Amino acid sequence: MKQVNFYYCAKLTFDDYVHNHSFALRVIPPETETQRLLSCSLNITPYVSTQQTVDAFGNNVTSGYLKGDHRFLDFEIKGAAQVDHTKHRTDYMPCYLYQSQYTKPDDALKEFYTEIKRECTGTVADRAEYLCAALANTVVYEKGHTGTDTTAAQAFLLKRGVCQDFSHILISLLRMDGIAARYIAGLAFCDGETHSWVEFWTGDHWEGIDPANNCLVNDDYIVISQGRDFRDCAIDRGVMFGSYTKQLQLVRSILS
Amino acid sequence: MVQLKQGQFMQAVGNAAEINELLRRYGVKFGIYKNGVFNEQFFPFDPIPRVITAEDFCSIEKGLVQRVNALNEFLYDIYHEKKIVRDGIVPEDFIYISKGYLAQCEGITPKNRIYSHISGIDLVQAKDGEWYILEDNLRIPSGASYPLIARELTRIAAPNAFEENNIVDNRGYAELLKETMENANCGGIRAILTPGRYNAAYFEHSYLAELTGSVLVQNDELFVEDNILYHRTYSGGKTRIGVLYRRISDEYLDPLTFLPHSLIGIPNLMEAYRSGNVGIVNAPGNGVADDKGIYYFVPKMIKYYLGEEPILKNAPTYLPFYEDDMKYVMEHLETLVIKDVAEAGGYGVVFGSDLSKEKLEEFRKTIIAEPRRFIAQEVIDFLDLPIVEGEDTVMRKADLRAFVLSGEKTKVWASGLTRFSRNPDSFVVNSSQGGGFKDTWVLSR
Repeated sequence: MKQVNFYYCAKLTFDDYVHNHSFALRVIPPETETQRLLSCSLNITPYVSTQQTVDAFGNNVTSGYLKGDHRFLDFEIKGAAQVDHTKHRTDYMPCYLYQSQYTKPDDALKEFYTEIKRECTGTVADRAEYLCAALANTVVYEKGHTGTDTTAAQAFLLKRGVCQDFSHILISLLRMDGIAARYIAGLAFCDGETHSWVEFWTGDHWEGIDPANNCLVNDDYIVISQGRDFRDCAIDRGVMFGSYTKQLQLVRSILS
Repeated sequence: MVQLKQGQFMQAVGNAAEINELLRRYGVKFGIYKNGVFNEQFFPFDPIPRVITAEDFCSIEKGLVQRVNALNEFLYDIYHEKKIVRDGIVPEDFIYISKGYLAQCEGITPKNRIYSHISGIDLVQAKDGEWYILEDNLRIPSGASYPLIARELTRIAAPNAFEENNIVDNRGYAELLKETMENANCGGIRAILTPGRYNAAYFEHSYLAELTGSVLVQNDELFVEDNILYHRTYSGGKTRIGVLYRRISDEYLDPLTFLPHSLIGIPNLMEAYRSGNVGIVNAPGNGVADDKGIYYFVPKMIKYYLGEEPILKNAPTYLPFYEDDMKYVMEHLETLVIKDVAEAGGYGVVFGSDLSKEKLEEFRKTIIAEPRRFIAQEVIDFLDLPIVEGEDTVMRKADLRAFVLSGEKTKVWASGLTRFSRNPDSFVVNSSQGGGFKDTWVLSR
């Protein structure tokens, strides 16, 4: 058990005014068996009235509508949580057993799985750790080659990627192996931005595994959202109008 | 037998050209995209009505109410406890591989637990008089406006037919639809959402809005604020929408929940819906129940949820997913009709009898490679109906799309869309495949 302070902020900046801006943020960590929120506050500027809902995957959704002209949207979340990974989450959904948009394997990824599956034996946890290690031996962590739209198959082809790509490939492999798996977006001590990892279903509860670091998840990880893949977990999604050409996003996160 | 005097038929026949001209003038069209080009086509009307006896309609009605009630139970179950999967009636794969299943809808309970408010159920009558269900359409079934407007015009062209026969008035559809929308209303005005005039059914959207006194809207007139759906008024104000009869597909409905690049959706509509602040007709996620693979299980659903024997039969269907069925399909492919479960509108339908030896062999391999993608059905020798062609009356294949509306009660509209194939060798009657339509007369006795 560990008490962790978390801080996370993002700045969306537009080069021209935007209006009629609808957004949905998935930034408030869920209260689960593993993590208890001691405090949590969310600040959004410019001021906007927001609503809270919980989506199908158990994520806290903060939605809002900025009608008038604005050139930025900042949000900042800080709080403290008590994390205890010996207490397990059990919020299972059968859809996690099936490949989703980002995890659908192509022939190359299927072939890779076929090559390694002979050695993939033992308990679900053994198999998950084996697949994670096999992935770490094949794909290199390297920034700048993949983006938020990159699928597991595309990243596997490049043989490099970031935490999001590692998560998608591992989920794809786990699901091919008949193990239900989900994508986690969150904060971890090893990272200055947001992090992503994977949870697999042991048949009884979820266990976290971090494929970008090839290790199991411990009390240094805070879950912000979960889903079938990145698509369900995007920290911010928005639709806005205006003649802006680019938006800049600055992200900073601290765990202490 | 139908007790109609031939003379009235002939009168209607005599006015075919006149009615079709009126339809053209009213703009009764539907659009088709072919090779990326949008074309508006005229949906040809045949003046000889299809007649359904009171006795036949009574059993169809009972069967359809039963079927739609079971389908609504199924949808609630799939997005909540999933008992039917746990009890081994429907294999899990069929649910979660289905494109119509939307995980984002898990746990959402629409008002009054109704998912399919407007169901378009396609039936055919076999030569022995027995009716068979061909397909359930629980997403955004279209076509109700055609028989409505056709009846209006036939009334003008052949008033005697309606005086001398006991034909159930079909003008009640407007009231029925309004009632159904009101039952799903979460407080506010009624609106019909159209993707715009370049949609195949735009004529219908505007016609139904007019009939039910609903506002016809496009997405740029709508916004969600504080989890409430609003219509932007001309004066700059806003009016709350309580029920949205949307005529756009699930995936495009909310870019913040579904396809992010959708330009015809309403951001955060799903949050308003989840919060119970707006009714969506039909509910998002219904596609899991009208999947061609799930069709096979509907009679089982009726027994499972209602404890009743199905009144209406499915066409005999085989799922290559099951070993025994695969064996049968491989051995009888040349006599079966094969449907791609992901396709609609008459696309992806292959008759084994149309295939050469080589093509059959090739198709067998495709089915073995992707057994979940196809269903196979016996070809039902369905009843031919008389169609006017030039000076002659010819016989053509026809089906019936019945409309079942689920409001406070589940009701079947005493009419429907009879579609026929203009090609004498074709069983495919879909409007997008160049078919025509007839009025459907349900007799009151």
